Amino acid sequence: MNNIEKYLLELLDSPLQLGALILGMIAFLAIIVFANSYLFYFRLMFLNLRRNIIRTSLTAIASIVLVFVITLVWTVLWFLNLVTSEKAKDFKAIITEKWQIPSQMPYAYEASLSEGAPSQEGDYKIDKSIDAMTWQFYGATIDPEKKTRDNIIFFFSMEPMKMTKMMDGMEEYSASQLDQLNKLCEEMVKDKRKIIVGTERLQAINKKVGERIKLTSFNYKGIDLEVEIIGSFPEGRYNQSAILNRDYLNDSLDDYNRKNPNSKHPMSNRNLNLVWIRVPDKDVFQKVERQITDSPSFTSPAVKVETASSGISTFLDAYRDLLWGLRWILAPFILATMALIIAVAISISVRERRKEIAVMKVIGFTPMQILFLVLGEAVMVGGFSGLISSVATTMVINNVVGGIKFPIAFFPVFMIPIDAIWWGPAIGISTALGGSLLPSLSACRVKVSEVFARTS
Amino acid sequence: MSENIIVRVENLTKSFSRGSEKIDVLEELTLEVESGEFLALMGPSGSGKTTLLNIIAGLDTPTSGTVTVGKNLISKMSESMLASWRTRHVGFVFQFYHLLPVLTAYENVELPLLLLPMTRAQRKVQVMNVLDLVGLSGRINHIPGQLSGGQQQRVGIARAIVTDPELIVADEPTGDLDSKSADEILDLMGVLQKTLGKTIIMVTHDPRSAARAQRVLQLEKGKLVKDSRNFSYVTGIAGN
Repeated sequence: MNNIEKYLLELLDSPLQLGALILGMIAFLAIIVFANSYLFYFRLMFLNLRRNIIRTSLTAIASIVLVFVITLVWTVLWFLNLVTSEKAKDFKAIITEKWQIPSQMPYAYEASLSEGAPSQEGDYKIDKSIDAMTWQFYGATIDPEKKTRDNIIFFFSMEPMKMTKMMDGMEEYSASQLDQLNKLCEEMVKDKRKIIVGTERLQAINKKVGERIKLTSFNYKGIDLEVEIIGSFPEGRYNQSAILNRDYLNDSLDDYNRKNPNSKHPMSNRNLNLVWIRVPDKDVFQKVERQITDSPSFTSPAVKVETASSGISTFLDAYRDLLWGLRWILAPFILATMALIIAVAISISVRERRKEIAVMKVIGFTPMQILFLVLGEAVMVGGFSGLISSVATTMVINNVVGGIKFPIAFFPVFMIPIDAIWWGPAIGISTALGGSLLPSLSACRVKVSEVFARTS
Repeated sequence: MSENIIVRVENLTKSFSRGSEKIDVLEELTLEVESGEFLALMGPSGSGKTTLLNIIAGLDTPTSGTVTVGKNLISKMSESMLASWRTRHVGFVFQFYHLLPVLTAYENVELPLLLLPMTRAQRKVQVMNVLDLVGLSGRINHIPGQLSGGQQQRVGIARAIVTDPELIVADEPTGDLDSKSADEILDLMGVLQKTLGKTIIMVTHDPRSAARAQRVLQLEKGKLVKDSRNFSYVTGIAGN
């Protein structure tokens, strides 16, 4: 199923969006049907905008830049809002250490937590083969002599076959991309030394698929691994990520402990960072949460169970002020600036055309028609530049730049959603309407007798 | 009331306030204009000519008194009603033409018709007819900047008559033209009055222009002081 089919199916699932789509189509048809009558108005608006091409261009460029910035900001906020919104069905939960960030639980917890810690008859048991996943964070450098940002790789150490089943964002990939990823995962299972690395991380470390590298860990000191890069993720949110078979890490840790029986590796008992489980609904989630928190097996350290959205929210707490600033200061400031720019341009234009507006009133144009004419000019500039900006931003950022690189929590990169194409015109039109309201009112209140009294 | 009266102004007063001072621009003015008449309004600056013209054309409202044009009591109409009424019943000719600079001659003339329920084809017929009447059918795609003053005023007149109004008001239509162009415009207005039976009310300072009118009204300090229908006011001037 391609992205368009998926998008259409999502639309059918949402009555609100479907309604908006139908209304939009009716409006579009109305424009086509009545285009003949209103063509002249559009032409007049266009000609009025064209008469001072520099001013119109500058206004449009300013709008394009501001829509670009706000598209970036809203993409980050939109995505974080999406991942922190509670789902009603088939949602994921995260199990982490209760009192410490980063969570570092003993690996012994894995078996029971992955099943939801059922202890008696009637308890809910998670099918860990499809609905559970563990994460162990393994950070390493490929050049221990010279540790820089560019030669570091941060791994999610996990069961390879869980990747396409459990990891977020897999739904963004096409069927053939998922097939390809599954084949890579099978290879990783066959040979635990094989790894997958995101395209940008590969570029940063200057390695290619097929190369073997030696990893010197900085959080698992002494657990250095030799791995072979067998593939990359498709372009998107995992451009900076890497996946390692957890068996390789755990076996290496065991090996280290065997070789050093008197001094076990300090991470031996702290090597499980996260357990992900998928539950069918809220009731099951609450039941599993009780099973785990009531269990005496998870007291030292204690664990907590959160929905993925609330777990991610906890991680995002560190960025709370930054996100608040983006949402409530930067975004409104940009919108206000856009409205002001359009207001100034339209005000000047109205002031220059007071006589023409008076003539139109003499001819018989009503104040309302004058109002719509002036508002229309603003909407034309705002809507058009908004559309250009959002389409260009979406295409360039997603296809050329590879997403917005704004690393927050688990999200190193944010892809602009397809919905953002509508943000541009929507922002452009609404700020144009807001900004041009006063100048338009001033235009429709032009008093003919006063204008011509000044002329003569 | 005579059936032939198209404009009836009764006890018209228009006052402005400047601070605490009240200025009466028009005072208790009463006037009747017959259908098909070519009337010139004369008087010194500030005498109230343009204000009277604006009120008759529905561009301004009186402080007191009534103005009836045709069967419409326009002094009581709202701004929107006046706008709609003007489209069908009044054509306005300005001293400085006031064409929309971004539109062609054709589009400038078409502008008032866009407010009426007409098809594009119907509009085209009407626009071409009036442009032909004013002698500009060969200049339809020229924008105002590409036309001479006289030609622009012809477009202005075409715009004023394209909706076939019964009343045409002109505020110094020759004031910005050389004498040759002014004569052509006055000839054209004569044709409109004589051939098409339009009622024309023209404000002018120029006695030569006023001499083309059938009737001349003289205003001073907001009052009608002479009416050529009652006094042989223009005979001497016409010979100049």
